[in-house]
Amino acid sequence: MTRFVRQTLIDPRLEPLIATAARIRWRQAWFPTPAMGVLSALLWLTFVVSGWRFFQWAIVHAHWLGSSSDACPGDAGACWAFFVARWKPWLVGDYPSDQLWRAWVCFAAFALFWTWVVRRSHAASMQRVLLGFILLPAALFLLLVGGGPLPHVAPSRWGGLLLTLVVTLTTFATALPIGLCLALGRRSRLPVLRWLCAAFVEGMRSVPLLAVLFIAATLLPMFLPNGLKIDLFARAIVAFALFNAAMAAEVFRGGLQSVGRGQLEAATTVGLSDFAAMRLIVLPQAATAVVPALVNIMIAVIKETTLLSVIGVNDLLGAVESGAKSPDWAGEPNILTSGQVFLALVYLSVCHGLSRYSRRLEAGR
Amino acid sequence: MTATSFAPLDPKAPVVQMNGINKWYGLFHALRDIDLRVAPGERVLICGPSGSGKSTLVRTVNLLEPFQQGRLQVCGVEVGADEITRAARLAVNRRVGMVFQQFNLFPHMTVLQNLTVGPVWGGGVSRREAQERALHYLERVGLMDQMHKHPAQLSGGQQQRVAIARTLCTQPQVVLFDEPTASLDPEMVNEVLQTMESLAGEGMTMLIVTHEMGFARRVADRVIFMDQGQIIEIAPPDDFFDQPQSPRLQSFLGQLLT
Repeated sequence: MTRFVRQTLIDPRLEPLIATAARIRWRQAWFPTPAMGVLSALLWLTFVVSGWRFFQWAIVHAHWLGSSSDACPGDAGACWAFFVARWKPWLVGDYPSDQLWRAWVCFAAFALFWTWVVRRSHAASMQRVLLGFILLPAALFLLLVGGGPLPHVAPSRWGGLLLTLVVTLTTFATALPIGLCLALGRRSRLPVLRWLCAAFVEGMRSVPLLAVLFIAATLLPMFLPNGLKIDLFARAIVAFALFNAAMAAEVFRGGLQSVGRGQLEAATTVGLSDFAAMRLIVLPQAATAVVPALVNIMIAVIKETTLLSVIGVNDLLGAVESGAKSPDWAGEPNILTSGQVFLALVYLSVCHGLSRYSRRLEAGR
Repeated sequence: MTATSFAPLDPKAPVVQMNGINKWYGLFHALRDIDLRVAPGERVLICGPSGSGKSTLVRTVNLLEPFQQGRLQVCGVEVGADEITRAARLAVNRRVGMVFQQFNLFPHMTVLQNLTVGPVWGGGVSRREAQERALHYLERVGLMDQMHKHPAQLSGGQQQRVAIARTLCTQPQVVLFDEPTASLDPEMVNEVLQTMESLAGEGMTMLIVTHEMGFARRVADRVIFMDQGQIIEIAPPDDFFDQPQSPRLQSFLGQLLT
């Protein structure tokens, strides 16, 4: 056996530059074999053709201005005039015109908060972010309802994007704390509490949201004592909150379980009580682990708000659909199609933004 | 300033006394009739094959593991098998420290926060004093310059030294070590053992589960050999290694040497 002894150590050096030309790398990526090449070309073709046709319909032949369905003859192009003329119903619903600044303040406040969240997505400020998600909706809600110097505006007059925003945020603000309590309740030492929380979560998870909404909208008023009236909007919010609390509870449960047993044991051995250990050691770690899943719940909530139109709350979908039935705009099926495409684009941009955000949070950890 | 001697209040009372402790995991009899007395300032080392119950034994001392039979007395707190409450566990753990095989540092806190969280929230010590203690013990384990880092930024050996400093910050009367070097790279074992040796030199009562036999000879007052949930042999280190009496220990030591 020969012997090897290194005399001088090798210094680190840079990786050599890639010698393959960009064109060849491109060909290797898209057309590695004939069959794959055909597939690539076909997919490209489909993409380009459908993209071009959508562009023709949505931009080139679109109708932008006008005050009734006369502005949008035929179905060669989209009818954006519908949205330009009826901006108020789909943005803020039936909110009083002289109080519109309150709605604009809400949008602006949310936009500011959102950029603030996105800018500082690091774990250190996570608790502040979660607190913001609870305080902001309460503030927006109070501003919109009014009272005191501000004239009262009933929630039944809110609508469109404003309503979707408020419902989403309020649901989040209530569902998160309730969900956390449920998750902690399922780990309680008291069997009754454990069973109650488990039964609630499992029950809610196995019922469709639409059924819960119908119970809140139609069944619940029959069981309320005479004279006690809770308006439809509040009942819908409660249904949303409870349903999503069950979802959040499962997420939190997973987050709590992801914190190893060793952490609790270490907390015990440095003399922390169970409560202190939960608050200082387990919850901060669980909260960081859980944020991407919570963003997913938020995306789901945004999309679920469209169900509100089924029980007669005037959300974004409801506003567009009832607008397309109004006397000025009825008759052209293309208008409703435009409306639905527009809705899809709005939801797509919002939810895609959110999922990008949650991706970033995951990558940041 | 913080005390550097660890003598308990009553110098004669045993720090740990186990009488007839039995523990089962379902049908598995994990600890069988354990009787053990640890005097103040004593260094007791426990070794044995895996699954022999040595980790379970030290984890029983601070009630991380409940037991089903027997009585346990730790630093003046006495509990029977049916009296293991949260309050008892808390009382015991405020007098007993522990160092884990996997360090179990709090990953979301800096080194300094790891050291102060116990005294401040568990021991009722003021923030300023907890900070002073933390700096004192960080100095002792030689990690003053790392105090603002997070555990993930430290090497395994450094993490375990932080864990030792963390447990010292709670000023325990006895420290339990559960295989403190078992998950460390060979190059880092020594820095941890040296820290433990200097601690032993100051009269700290220690109960150590380890397979570091050289360390055992240098530091231990008594070495315990466990197998199948029972104590097989207890002896001073020189007798333990040079004249093992029981055949089980003889074969165990024989396997260690080859």
